[in-house]
Amino acid sequence: MAPISYYLVLAIIMFFIGILGVLIRRNALIVFMSLELMFNAANLVFVAFSRQYQALNGQISVFFVMTVAAAEVAIGLALMVTIFRTKHSIDVDQMNNLKG
Amino acid sequence: MPTVNDFLLILPEVVLLIWALLILLIDLWIPDTKKYYTAVLSAAGLVISAGCAFALLGRTGSAFSNMVVLDGFSSVLSILFLLSGLAAVALAYDYLKRNAAQRGEYYTLLLFSIAGMMLMASANDLIMVFLSLELLSIPLYILAGFFRPRLASEEAALKYFLLGAFSSAILLFGIAWIYGSTGHTDFPGIVASIDGGRANYLLLLIGAGLLLVGFGFKIGVFPFHMWVPDTYQGSPSSIGAFMTVATKAAGFAALLRVFLVLFPAEAPIMAGILWGLSAASMIFGNTVAIAQMNMKRLLAYSSIANAGYILMAFVPYGNPVIAQEAVSSALFYLLAYALTSFGAWAVMIALEPAESDGLLLQDFSGLGRKYPWLGAALLISMLSFIGVPLTMGFWGKFYLFKTAVDGSQIPLVLIGLLTSLVSAYYYLRIVMFAYFKPGEPQIQPGRWASVVAVICAAGIFVLSFIPTPVFQFAAQMIMGMK
Amino acid sequence: MTAVQIVFLAVAALTLAAAVMVVSLRRMMQSALALILALVGVAVIFALLGSGFFAVSQVVVYIGAIAILIIFAVMLTQNSMSPEHSQMNPGFLYAALGSALLFSSLVFILSMWVGFYAIPVNLDPSVDTITVLGLSLTDPQGFALPFEIVSVLLLAALIGGIYIARDHHRD
Repeated sequence: MAPISYYLVLAIIMFFIGILGVLIRRNALIVFMSLELMFNAANLVFVAFSRQYQALNGQISVFFVMTVAAAEVAIGLALMVTIFRTKHSIDVDQMNNLKG
Repeated sequence: MPTVNDFLLILPEVVLLIWALLILLIDLWIPDTKKYYTAVLSAAGLVISAGCAFALLGRTGSAFSNMVVLDGFSSVLSILFLLSGLAAVALAYDYLKRNAAQRGEYYTLLLFSIAGMMLMASANDLIMVFLSLELLSIPLYILAGFFRPRLASEEAALKYFLLGAFSSAILLFGIAWIYGSTGHTDFPGIVASIDGGRANYLLLLIGAGLLLVGFGFKIGVFPFHMWVPDTYQGSPSSIGAFMTVATKAAGFAALLRVFLVLFPAEAPIMAGILWGLSAASMIFGNTVAIAQMNMKRLLAYSSIANAGYILMAFVPYGNPVIAQEAVSSALFYLLAYALTSFGAWAVMIALEPAESDGLLLQDFSGLGRKYPWLGAALLISMLSFIGVPLTMGFWGKFYLFKTAVDGSQIPLVLIGLLTSLVSAYYYLRIVMFAYFKPGEPQIQPGRWASVVAVICAAGIFVLSFIPTPVFQFAAQMIMGMK
Repeated sequence: MTAVQIVFLAVAALTLAAAVMVVSLRRMMQSALALILALVGVAVIFALLGSGFFAVSQVVVYIGAIAILIIFAVMLTQNSMSPEHSQMNPGFLYAALGSALLFSSLVFILSMWVGFYAIPVNLDPSVDTITVLGLSLTDPQGFALPFEIVSVLLLAALIGGIYIARDHHRD
């Protein structure tokens, strides 16, 4: 069995790859995929610590996170598809209709 | 088995959720020409839920094995959320009709979101905090895009969604580290673990920092504010008004409770970060608002500045005496801000024509002469935003500044005072347009927005004569916290 | 180095490579496929951590539902980015630098933690985790309330998804 630190470092790297994706990509769908990476990293931390403490309450959280991710994907993809129908682009930076 | 007591303590939330489901079903049989029935029904649900919350006022206890707690803090905030919801329904009715978006889903989703906020104010477990945050956000993502296929509304929703999910992910990562530090997600378990010396300080600190970033997005303080102006401008105005008040209050509710209960030991480090966030928000919000000619964007930047004001009192939260005072002055300010903000938005919604992205300041020209009541409401709201005496805004700022002085945050108070002076410029410019420029504004059909504006203005004015009892009530209510 | 550790390192390297591909590849469909690979990697790591139930859930929920939905969305929004445009935000260098800084400080803080190097003890095989999980989800003294809230959340997402995506002309 590998030390818990291996899993945690993996989760942290994954989380930061996700953050980078959110910050640097302009495609809304890829931003969304990066968000999924971030949620997965959090799940990994929960499961790793849950193993460490031999307690199941951390794993319950993973269950809820998966459900929330499913709810978010429904909303997010509906929004992206509908905005694509209106505009034929999902480039976040081109959303100049509202001036930032 | 769950006891009756468990359900009793979350009765307002349960009533609201069941009511939302009933509206969803009943709305199917309400023809498009009679959608006011749906609005009236949802208002009735909010009133009944508020009645339950009033009846529970003063009661304390925890339900479902410490998943939620009921105390004065959560009761007062629940009532604030429900009244905000009532205002959002009243503002929406004519506005949605004008924009040909009269759909029952609006009310169902609004009620879901309010239930999420109420649960967030009483959440006593980090998983509950996360889930109620999602329950309040997901309906709001849709409500922000309610005017689809209008592009501005869709873009507002997408931006809000992406940044909202981003902040949720950061928050969740923080929760995971706190779990790692203590082995618990429920507040009593975490506190016991910290007090017992079993918790790891470093991991806890990482968790606290990530949580602060996550909440920072929700309350819209300076470096995490990018979604605020675009989302408020592109969303339907009734939702913009609701978000400036209720979402912000919900974010503060969770922030205050989590930090006061879980992280008193991290206060020395957190105080510096909170200081920076507060000062940056006040300076940034107020200076950028000067350049805004669009009323919705101006109110959005003003909301960033106001988040900074509320955070100011919370900087010295490590001191238990100050913390009590900070929470009661934050509650008081949230009430004052709710009245003021709804007043300003309501005046705008009363005048806003269909398919608009918000009024320009010039569009208020001549308001004072043509519609004296609406003009007076606008005037009172603006004075209250600035913090002129004889308004609730004055007392709100007074108590916040007083708390910050008691916590020896003199530089922050000076920044607050100076930025308030700066803000007077842009708030008074609106008043100048309304009273001293000639123009012919046209009030839109439907009187509910005007009614809300006048009620809020009256509230700002009348309550300013009895600030001390209100403040003492807030202070008394939070005594049972922790 | 034990066999489990080697498996872990291989899977972790694969997962991270896939994650990098998700955020760096130019075509959305390739990113989506890389995301599936990363999700499979996480599922294997759940299994290595002795959490078989969540390894399966990961495959069923994340890959079976979420990733497939994402692929549908990719197909529905073909050619959504103008090709002559850069795919990166203008300020991406600052973002990359900032996150790298944050990341290294986080790992540095962690490396000072003693429990960091602890090897977890073996699980007690006699405990049936799935039964415990299932019971605590319906137990009012456990997680019944969050469970109910999640159900409301899914309903809200359902209503919202239908409202947002339905045909605009048929309103």
